[in-house]
Amino acid sequence: MSQMITIELNGEQQPFPPGSSVSDLLAIIGSDGKSVAVVVNEQIIRPENRLSHLLQEGDRVELLMFAGGG
Amino acid sequence: MRVSPEWLTDNRDTAALAAMLAPDSLFSLETLAAESRAITLRRFGQTMTLYAPLYLSNYCSSGCAYCGFASDRTTPRHRLEPDDIRQELNAMKKIGISDILLLTGERTAAADFEYLQQSVAIAAQEMQRVSVEAFPMSVSEYRKLADCGCTGITIYQETYNRQRYKTLHRWGPKKDFIDRLETPARALEGGIKTVGLGVLLGLSDPVEDALSLYRHLRHLGHTYWRAGMSVSFPRMRPQTGGYEPPFPVDHHLLARMIFAFRISLPDTELVLSTRESAAFRDGMAGLGITRMSIESRTTVGGYHDPGNQEKGQFDICDDRTAKEFCTALRTKNIEPVFKNWEPAYNGPVSPNSSPAIPETQPCH
Amino acid sequence: MDLLHFGSYTFSSRLILGTGKFSNSTVMLDAVRSSGAQLVTVALRRFNREQAEDDLFGPLSAIKGITLMPNTSGASTASEAVRAAHIARELSGSPFIKVEIHPNPQHLMPDPIETFEASRILAKEGFLVMPYIAADPVLAKRLEEVGCASVMPLGSAIGSGQGLATSEMLNIIIRESGIPVIVDAGLRSPSEAAHAMEMGCEAVLVNSAVAVAGNPPAMAEAFAEAVVAGRKAFRSGLMQKSGSAIATSPLTSFLGTL
Repeated sequence: MSQMITIELNGEQQPFPPGSSVSDLLAIIGSDGKSVAVVVNEQIIRPENRLSHLLQEGDRVELLMFAGGG
Repeated sequence: MRVSPEWLTDNRDTAALAAMLAPDSLFSLETLAAESRAITLRRFGQTMTLYAPLYLSNYCSSGCAYCGFASDRTTPRHRLEPDDIRQELNAMKKIGISDILLLTGERTAAADFEYLQQSVAIAAQEMQRVSVEAFPMSVSEYRKLADCGCTGITIYQETYNRQRYKTLHRWGPKKDFIDRLETPARALEGGIKTVGLGVLLGLSDPVEDALSLYRHLRHLGHTYWRAGMSVSFPRMRPQTGGYEPPFPVDHHLLARMIFAFRISLPDTELVLSTRESAAFRDGMAGLGITRMSIESRTTVGGYHDPGNQEKGQFDICDDRTAKEFCTALRTKNIEPVFKNWEPAYNGPVSPNSSPAIPETQPCH
Repeated sequence: MDLLHFGSYTFSSRLILGTGKFSNSTVMLDAVRSSGAQLVTVALRRFNREQAEDDLFGPLSAIKGITLMPNTSGASTASEAVRAAHIARELSGSPFIKVEIHPNPQHLMPDPIETFEASRILAKEGFLVMPYIAADPVLAKRLEEVGCASVMPLGSAIGSGQGLATSEMLNIIIRESGIPVIVDAGLRSPSEAAHAMEMGCEAVLVNSAVAVAGNPPAMAEAFAEAVVAGRKAFRSGLMQKSGSAIATSPLTSFLGTL
């Protein structure tokens, strides 16, 4: 098996298969992608670009959703 | 002909004022006076700001039916030259005046913008505070005046009733109702700090005009919220030319209007000139009026050479000296204030705020 | 019809509901439905697989007529708030953003400087900016000047339930504002919401008072009714309060001698 890459996901280090796209990441962590926003290295990755955007070693990924708030 | 703006007839905010001014108002004059006095004391204290008018020129191109200086009147025309202005200012300073209002008629070749600007510059060297009551100007002209030290513009709509306005302003640039209406906004846009508004009581239905005047102030205040505002209550009195006001306002109604404005606009300066009698001025001091003119001359010049026998723009009723008037104020426990301003603040306002300190242009 | 307008959006409800602090999302969604609110605030949070059911976007979007107003809660600087706004717009598609920047978690008072800076930037970018501020009349005008869609001064501290403690300042803001004033934070009871509307607020935002009520959906309904009543009263010309000044001796007798 090829070397896993390390991604910082929501502040925590996590291994992912090399060549994973953002869509792959979402599938792995169990999100349907519909209710989350994806930010990679401060850049918002829009839904239409998630399949083509490939993750690199050391990328900082934030997954955000709406929760209750005033 | 341009359409009147919506705010001029917007009633959403005028109920309280209308209730105080209605002929069958439930509010007695005494009740209004007490409320007005209480607010004036809280907001302004026991003081009266004093200023004096200086007529620079009585040349005029307009034909206002009610004015002693209309272009078809036979009154002799004069213009103060720079040295004359300096003489007048010195005479005024000897009386203690440091806050002046420079007046001209409509824009004419004899008294045009350059003349006015030059006069403002001279006055700003001698006086702590210089205001102007002249002709409507453009935003850039107002900015030039502000750069020269003018911090206040007075411009009366005379009447907000369009029909009456049309009848009264027979010819000349003052015919343009909308241009005049927009003048205070242009002045504030150009960096002038304070505008003075008013209607000439007697020309038109006074209650309707009062409500329109109130709407004008509220409308200006929404956009130019940093601006100072004042309201004057010029009331038609006998003058050169003998125009009979069709809607005469007696002193009871005038007092009621002043109280109602104080209550409705607690922070607005309310101004009374020497058109009114000594007794009325003394009575109203402390009840709502916060600024008054003194030792007025409504002829061109007149401070340096008080022997001038010509008729002024209007007849003065309170002809007491500054000293006499101040004594009267002190008897009422009101302190006369001649200087309420620091010339260091005489630069123009930048309306769209930036933290940087604005550079003032050199004055030509 | 007395409708509330922001940009191209039109609302008939003047009650804006917050979605925080509810015991569970089912209760919260019931409260939203009962309230008839059409504008609802949400916060951004990190996606957590274990708490995936906390996601509100799906369930809220399913309620007819709802427009989301994301807030920037969590940001303590203007740039953090701007980033949060971009992410929120990306997720919701809504141009509304409640700029909420409170660096001090003890009292949650909003930072006026960061709020102004964030609002200025976001308004330029075309957001419908609803800044949450202390009841500061000058700050309100500055925010209006830079293009905010409304101002949202607090009635009292978030969650404090102290009602309209800032009513004097609110009166000034309402009187001077050219854009809608929405009281946000501190309202405890429907009568306070009615009072805010009677004063001239265009809408109120309520969260804690509904979320921690014994019966949140019923409380939401009560708030909705109060907002309608208060607005109706405001538009019907409330009787003036009489002045309280009394003079000891007649002030206007001098007029008789003239």
